[in-house]
Amino acid sequence: GHGRGGMGEGVKRKEDKRFITGRGNYVDDIKKPGMLHCEIVRSPHAHARINEIDTSRAMEVDGVVAVLTAEDLAAHELATMPTLMDDTQDVLVNDKVKFQSQEVAAVIAEDRYVAKDGAEKVAVDYEVLDPVVTAEDALEADAPLIRDELDDQEDNHIFDWDVGDKEATDKVFEAADVTVSEQMEYQRLHPAPIETCGCVTDWDPGKDKITVHLTSQAPHAHRTLFSQVSGIPEHKVRIVSPDIGGGFGNKVPIYPGYVVAAAASVVLERPVKWMEERSENIQTTGFARDYDMTGELAATEDGIIKGVRTDVLANHGAYNAVAQPSKFPAGFFNIFTGSYDVEAAYGSLTAAFTNTAPGGVAYRCSFRVTEAVYLIERMVKVLAQELDMDPAEIRRRNFIQPEQFPYESATGWNYDSGDYEKALDKALEMADYDHYREEQRRRIENDADKLIGIGISSFTEVVGAGPGKSCDIAGIEMFDSADIRVNPTGNAVLRVGVQTQGQGHETTFAQIVAEELGMDVENITVEHGDTDTDPYGLGTYGSRSTPVAGAATAVAARKVRDKAKSIAANELEAAEEDIEWDRGSGEFHVAGAPDRSLTITEIAASAYMNHPGSEEPGLEAVNYYDPPEMTYPFGSYIVVVEVDRETGEVDFERFVAVDDCGNRINPMVIEGQIHGGLAQGIGTAMMEHVTYDENGNCTGGDFMNYLLPTANEIPNFETGYTVTPSPHHPIGAKGVGESPTVGSPPAIVNAVVDAMAHAGTTHVEMPMTPDRVWENLAEAGLERDPA
Amino acid sequence: MSETREITLTVNGTDHTIDVEPRKLLVHAIREDLDMTGTHIGCDTGNCGACTVLVDGEPLKSCLMFTAQADGSEVMTVEGMEDLPESDGDLHPLQEGFHEEHGLQCGYCTPGMIMSGKALLDENPDPSEEEIREAISGNLCRCTGYQNIVKSIEYAAEKLAAQPAADGGRII
Repeated sequence: GHGRGGMGEGVKRKEDKRFITGRGNYVDDIKKPGMLHCEIVRSPHAHARINEIDTSRAMEVDGVVAVLTAEDLAAHELATMPTLMDDTQDVLVNDKVKFQSQEVAAVIAEDRYVAKDGAEKVAVDYEVLDPVVTAEDALEADAPLIRDELDDQEDNHIFDWDVGDKEATDKVFEAADVTVSEQMEYQRLHPAPIETCGCVTDWDPGKDKITVHLTSQAPHAHRTLFSQVSGIPEHKVRIVSPDIGGGFGNKVPIYPGYVVAAAASVVLERPVKWMEERSENIQTTGFARDYDMTGELAATEDGIIKGVRTDVLANHGAYNAVAQPSKFPAGFFNIFTGSYDVEAAYGSLTAAFTNTAPGGVAYRCSFRVTEAVYLIERMVKVLAQELDMDPAEIRRRNFIQPEQFPYESATGWNYDSGDYEKALDKALEMADYDHYREEQRRRIENDADKLIGIGISSFTEVVGAGPGKSCDIAGIEMFDSADIRVNPTGNAVLRVGVQTQGQGHETTFAQIVAEELGMDVENITVEHGDTDTDPYGLGTYGSRSTPVAGAATAVAARKVRDKAKSIAANELEAAEEDIEWDRGSGEFHVAGAPDRSLTITEIAASAYMNHPGSEEPGLEAVNYYDPPEMTYPFGSYIVVVEVDRETGEVDFERFVAVDDCGNRINPMVIEGQIHGGLAQGIGTAMMEHVTYDENGNCTGGDFMNYLLPTANEIPNFETGYTVTPSPHHPIGAKGVGESPTVGSPPAIVNAVVDAMAHAGTTHVEMPMTPDRVWENLAEAGLERDPA
Repeated sequence: MSETREITLTVNGTDHTIDVEPRKLLVHAIREDLDMTGTHIGCDTGNCGACTVLVDGEPLKSCLMFTAQADGSEVMTVEGMEDLPESDGDLHPLQEGFHEEHGLQCGYCTPGMIMSGKALLDENPDPSEEEIREAISGNLCRCTGYQNIVKSIEYAAEKLAAQPAADGGRII
């Protein structure tokens, strides 16, 4: 930082003003002349044959303009759409519904109320079939076949995947002093951004061009996919992500509602708005997790971990529509050896179709890293208990050491940098660890009503997808981009290929430019989300913005700086190699003559008014950045809980989070990301669960049943940090947005388990609702009747 | 379409007469008939509070109220905050607090949060942290983890307490 809003400064956010005054511009705020509203008719059944869809009564409703079914879409080859994982998803269904609330028909009307009236009048004749809602049941030999429309699909099995050296791992397990095993479910969650998904589609028959304002985390990728699905050439498709009310991975996939609204706009030649309601959002858009995992560790008596083994059953819902790089069917789950130097590891996974909504990768998961970190951090706790070792000490003995980086893991990752013990030590100190261990013992000795539990998670993330050789979305390599244009008066516009959904890019990306060009952060405007004007990028998810577009921004700024040097040389009548740039003052000066200097503002003027003959006029640069590696931020979280033996209620006594994301662009924004992610970690561990009953009814599908934490359930967090820069990143920064949600659930579960560990408890399933905790207390003989 | 009736609302001090169906939710009238889109919709069950406005001084979720029920009422939305005397022609201390304390990220819950914060401070100018958390427990936020929202409201409480009495006194 240099006082102008560069790196490391807690610059207050440029985007705040419009949001605190109600002047944000979200999709549902958009109103266009002649705009129609779309309401989707959804299936009440999880699995049912459709005999007939009668739309005639809906068409009679005053104000209904059209009712679309699969047949209408089929005429435009839009009845189905490709998913990101080489599957095909129905946009509207007319043969067989495969999950409850699936899209069956769409009513387009003058008014959103009338559209709902119309939707109620669509009569669908269903023949109900047996549903199957868990991966385990779906893979039974006599399970009903869900995807009977696929020629080569004879059961509900999607794929098998494995990673690591099975033979070497088996050997390590056979030879080990100690092995432990635990089965754990990472329950189905939903990212549930407060703004749901929606769009306004606007076909312009004069230009043969469609403009779609979309709740999109990846507007450019969506443009390409829209073009491919619709057949409209890409230069005639404009996607605009306006302000987005939170994404959390929910707004990466393409949903049927978008396709229907686009088709309706083309057919009716009028703008069409589709904005889903909360229950539609939870019940039909991309869920998260739903991994049923078995974890195993092999170790010496001293607690040195020799091997990790895992086997997973993955529920992918009715379609394989997971939003992840195409060559990674289980995402980056193979980071499951965590922060530990492990000799051998092997993981296998089986994915199944079920009669539930599609999804899997979302909700700050960094492509299944949540599941991987949960697995390893839970297992380390299980091992510590088995060996009667302190869970901090066992981590210390197994950490990859600072000098081992770059470290190649047993499952093939190349960790960039880390100093794990430093972060753990800091967290232990902040949390007053020894005191709480003492207090825990005291309460057990006194047979107290409330038990203390301490949970640790020392996780390693993998974010910044990614190197084009291995990472692509639907074939497009996962680079990202920045385009900087400095104006004649010395201020600048930066356009990026990523798309903020609240993470503060409009501020933090300006800070990178301010740092690299010696400009004041106030003089830089950041734009994003409009595919007609912004450079192509892959969007924001997987905490990839800083690693990829942040890198592109620094590189583009450095290109501008190089040209600025040449202009400065011309102006100062010196040789270019004699021009030095001073990061502190932000000025360019002649070596040895600091008074012969120019600011970027002066140089910008020259670029337009007196450019050197050797250069083009103007001052701008573009960079498309293909990252050489991922970034691997890490952290240690310590959670102290008090468990009420009478009620099963869990209170957070302390919640300490030490994160290391390398060089920090804006500490204030990082802290906000950590707070939000930790709250989602608490939601994950304590409350959130998309549940289905045996008939396939989604029983956790609205905010009455899918519980988000309120201000009353969230404690104050104590955050700390260490700085271990990424050696390959232009500004040494790593991603961080998802770390807190990745890292915290195992710390919370470990804490609750820890409170009961003296009575033999090794695991408590999430969400750890009071009744579930009470059941576990009772199983351990720790429950206490109310006095 | 069913029959409409004429409703008069005073929103942020300005009278508006609109024709609405009896079934029209207040949140839709504010957003679509009056084009004040700061008030948001985040759920369909009355849980999230993104639609919170003040109706005759009371914080209400405008998705749980028909427009007709607000006939003759004084409604205040986030768009009215800058016109309050304590804003002194600029941002209201609550708005300033959310900016200074980083009490917002995506901004979608923010207008509702600010209105709940206003209702609290109108009743209780010096709330404890617990009272603030209770007062905003009907407002869900998915981004901030609430901690900075609590600080934002504390910031506003302090700033308001430092202002001269609201009986016409103004800071010059």
